[in-house]
Amino acid sequence: MQNFVNKSDDKKTPYETARNCRHYAMCKIDFLGSGVCESGLEKQFVSFYPQGRMILYEALAGNKISVTQKCIEIAGSCNLCGKCDYQCYFLNEMRPTKVMEALKNHVETYIKNGGKIKLSKDDDLLAEIKKIVGDNWATNDEAITVTYSHDLSAISDPKVPDYVVMPNTKEEISSLVKLFNKNKITYTIRGNGQNLLGFAINDGVIIDLNRMKTIEFDEKNWLVKVGPGVTAFDLQKQAQKRGYRINASEPAALLCANIMCSGIMSTFSTTYGINADNFINAEFVNHSGSLFNLNEISSPNLYSYKNLQHKDSPGICVSASIRLHPVTDDEKGILVPFETLNNALDFIKDCSVRHIGLALGIVGAEYISTFLSPTKKMASEIKNIFVDKLNIPWLVVVIGDKYAIRSISEMGFPFFDQNMFKSLYLGLPSLKTAQWLDLVKELSDDEPYSYLKVKSFAELFETALSPSPRLYSQEVDKELSPFFEKLFSRQEMTDLVWLNMYRIMSTRLGRKKPFLPALIYLPIDNDLINDFSDKFRLIAEKHGIDNDFGFITPIDNGKRCIFEYDFFYDYNDPDEIQRIRQVAMESNMLIDDYSVKTGTVKGHPYVLYQGFCRKENLLYS
Amino acid sequence: MAGKNKPVIALTGATGFLGSHLMATMLKKGYSIIVLGRTAKNESLKERISRLLQWFGIDRCLDQVTCIDADLSQYNLGIENKEYSRLCSVADYVIHCASDTSFSESKREKVMAANVNNLQGILEFSKNANVSFFHYISTAYVAGTGVTYCKEILSSAKSFTNVYEESKAAAENIISLFCQKNSISLSIIRPSIVYGDSQSGRSLKFNALYFPIRSAQSIRDIYLNDLRNNGGIKATKNGIYIDKDGYLFLPLKIYLPHEGDLNIIPVDYFVNATIKIIENCSQGGIYHLTNNFPTTMKIVAKYYEQLMKVRGVEIIYGPQPDNLLRNPAEELFDRFIEPYRPYLSDNRVFDRTNTSLATDNLNPPEFTYDIFKTCMEYAIEVNWGASIFG
Ligand SMILES: Cc1cc2nc3c(=O)[nH]c(=O)nc-3n(C[C@H](O)[C@H](O)[C@H](O)COP(=O)(O)OP(=O)(O)OC[C@H]3O[C@@H](n4cnc5c(N)ncnc54)[C@H](O)[C@@H]3O)c2cc1C
Ligand code: SF4
Repeated sequence: MQNFVNKSDDKKTPYETARNCRHYAMCKIDFLGSGVCESGLEKQFVSFYPQGRMILYEALAGNKISVTQKCIEIAGSCNLCGKCDYQCYFLNEMRPTKVMEALKNHVETYIKNGGKIKLSKDDDLLAEIKKIVGDNWATNDEAITVTYSHDLSAISDPKVPDYVVMPNTKEEISSLVKLFNKNKITYTIRGNGQNLLGFAINDGVIIDLNRMKTIEFDEKNWLVKVGPGVTAFDLQKQAQKRGYRINASEPAALLCANIMCSGIMSTFSTTYGINADNFINAEFVNHSGSLFNLNEISSPNLYSYKNLQHKDSPGICVSASIRLHPVTDDEKGILVPFETLNNALDFIKDCSVRHIGLALGIVGAEYISTFLSPTKKMASEIKNIFVDKLNIPWLVVVIGDKYAIRSISEMGFPFFDQNMFKSLYLGLPSLKTAQWLDLVKELSDDEPYSYLKVKSFAELFETALSPSPRLYSQEVDKELSPFFEKLFSRQEMTDLVWLNMYRIMSTRLGRKKPFLPALIYLPIDNDLINDFSDKFRLIAEKHGIDNDFGFITPIDNGKRCIFEYDFFYDYNDPDEIQRIRQVAMESNMLIDDYSVKTGTVKGHPYVLYQGFCRKENLLYS
Repeated sequence: MAGKNKPVIALTGATGFLGSHLMATMLKKGYSIIVLGRTAKNESLKERISRLLQWFGIDRCLDQVTCIDADLSQYNLGIENKEYSRLCSVADYVIHCASDTSFSESKREKVMAANVNNLQGILEFSKNANVSFFHYISTAYVAGTGVTYCKEILSSAKSFTNVYEESKAAAENIISLFCQKNSISLSIIRPSIVYGDSQSGRSLKFNALYFPIRSAQSIRDIYLNDLRNNGGIKATKNGIYIDKDGYLFLPLKIYLPHEGDLNIIPVDYFVNATIKIIENCSQGGIYHLTNNFPTTMKIVAKYYEQLMKVRGVEIIYGPQPDNLLRNPAEELFDRFIEPYRPYLSDNRVFDRTNTSLATDNLNPPEFTYDIFKTCMEYAIEVNWGASIFG
């Protein structure tokens, strides 16, 4: 059993690091402003990004494939610039550059030792495909195909496809579909392969949509039309430049994929909504290769919802017109602490019923400490401080304008404002040794967190923590700390609004171990939510699987919420995979049970490929 | 189990501050004690008690202790019938020391439940055990507010500083009625504010007297760190600096409503006086374990400055002016000491007639700088209790 998931990265061999790539595709977006792997941007196949090279190295070192032509190209096109170290360390505390070096060495040594290069030949089908998309954009070279063999699901085993193709237009997609139909070849669409349900791998052909990155703003109509290769991060950046915001979930997720798969949901879904709330129109290539436009009367009714686990995909989404939202210049983020989940639930319910706040989300101490801490070790130390010293097992993140923040103040809830959040964040290392925290806890005896209402507490808090990018960066690997210091000097890195709209930290949740979430739509019913929480925990404990509360976001004026509970597992440990599968099955059965019993609970797997539906049809039918 | 001549004591609150110190000395004197207590989260009652005895350096006395898992809120204290009857047959005295010492109004229900509602079980036990004495550890502050001379009689006060005082006053009355009705002798022992051992400085708890000192020390350390490691930008802004002689100048004006005293006694005095009362009083009665030579916050502030190498603390008697500008240290300190403020300038004088008689005129020591230093140094050594057990 190769149980090295928790070994610190500097002690891992390149092979072990490669096997621990989380496949979140974050190295495909420039979320730190440090640049993206240049060869990836040029060649586009995931194989030329750090993520692909990790998978490739794992396959080579594990003797799953031999050295091919593309292999040489992929290894050779890495210039060991080290950008992926910044990105991957930021999220997962891993340093992929050593894997890149090992990959180059492996290939060089192989050639030096006279190893035979495996040549991939174009068969008839590939030749036909290339006629449609051009020579550079289709391949059956194993070095490429193997990098499309993974997804994030614990449920499916890796599968190497026969071909990978990267079309550039909807017409090319249409021709491809017709070709595959004619040849009875299965095909699977792939965005960035980071959906958690795991339906982006298959044998047959993988159609990678990452070349289709058109973005056309139609500001008069508050929409932006995007191609299926546009990531949430890139679109949010463009929208922000023009003074708008989109409802974006994972930054590396492709928007069309996200809508297609299960609908976009984020903390902003409190006001921006979910599913059909997020777009105005979309174009598709259907299963026979014909184009249709969602707003045409003759088109299939994708706004409807059917409570089915494996509904067929309606086709390939080739563009979506995403809604733009206005932004005011007084938006701020705050963190409202709570002693109990019930109090936090009452609060978010109250806020959403009263339309207070743009984005709302309850997170537990595990979530918040993982997001804020630069390392796993620190995350666990900080979690204990939050719970034991600050007595903050729960926090509600609120993004709102000045009126919303004022209302929360008037409601009598003490909170960490943006400035205090910054102090807390950049002063985290001081928190570990802060003796005055014990006193702060005693101050809460009469009224929880009343110290936050002491006028100058913020100033003393800042003085005590001495927050600074330098202090924060001392926690990371020495060679990386100058970069981190510069990074954290940037205002947006500690801005709750920015962090929530770009969500660059959420993949840190998988830093300790990859995770599988149970996601449910349900009423904000405290008993029901506590019941679910307890039962998920019991299921996980029964199978020896780490687990924790994820988050809760209210939607549709507090009539419902989205609840995520997370299970953590090592996907290199076959035994743990078996156990997580068991957990997934039992959790789904539990959700099904409640679904029948209450008539108000819906499980996430039932939304698969129904992301275009009206939320009302999903939530209330 | 019972020592030859000593009565067997059933003790509640043995894991608390006063109870544990009392238990330790009584064990040293050869008493056998039935500890009625509870298992904590990760530790059985026996483990808790033996950890305490170790701390007191008297592990050898463990076999004088019978640990009984008891829940004061339950019928028969939650003890199984046979065991309950057995305990009833051996206990000679009850010392009821368990109490919720929270001052917080938001904890009213909990405090009332622990200090008043839960009395029934232990009182019934005393009756069933046919004990000859019930000793109740109360507080001098059952006297309530608005009184200046507090007699050693049951309190008829209507207003109190906090729910703790109120609950203790109510408890005294209930216990007194019960004991009268059931012919059980009763002593009510009322300490004022108790700090650590005046000789060794050792203590198991660091609230009351310790809390303002600890708060001021924390604030001092925050600014010292700012001055030493961060260029002192924040400190300078608030007029805080390090003097040539190394003293930190940190302006801290503490407003107390009027002139008055701080009535504190060391835990060794509490223990010795209590044991004398238990051993000497044949009739029972009410006893004030208070200090005839109370100290003042001005004196404590001076001691603090000397020990912590700080200047700038000012105790001002009288109402705080409206719109007074407070620096962050003052504002936070104000919040820290809020629950204790009424005890920091107290005008009440306590009658000690019964106490003097029962304790052969045993008096608590005056609160000197040496005692202050010994106690605070110990508190700092054990990080205000956080590392008390290593
Ligand atoms: C750490 C983490 C946190 C997450 N949190 C959230 C969250 O808060 N909210 C949320 O909404 N999601 C969340 N997700 C899920 C994920 O972001 C979405 O599932 C998203 O769809 C993934 O995008 P992708 O481009 O990787 O899609 P893929 O995984 O590549 O594709 C998703 C599915 O859609 C199909 N598909 C892709 N593109 C198209 C297309 N154009 N036409 C037809 N079918 C297509 C694929 O075959 C696949 O079945 C999270 C994922 C991770 C890893
Ligand atoms: S080190 Fe190689 S794989 Fe990593 S970002 Fe640079 S070029 Fe890309």
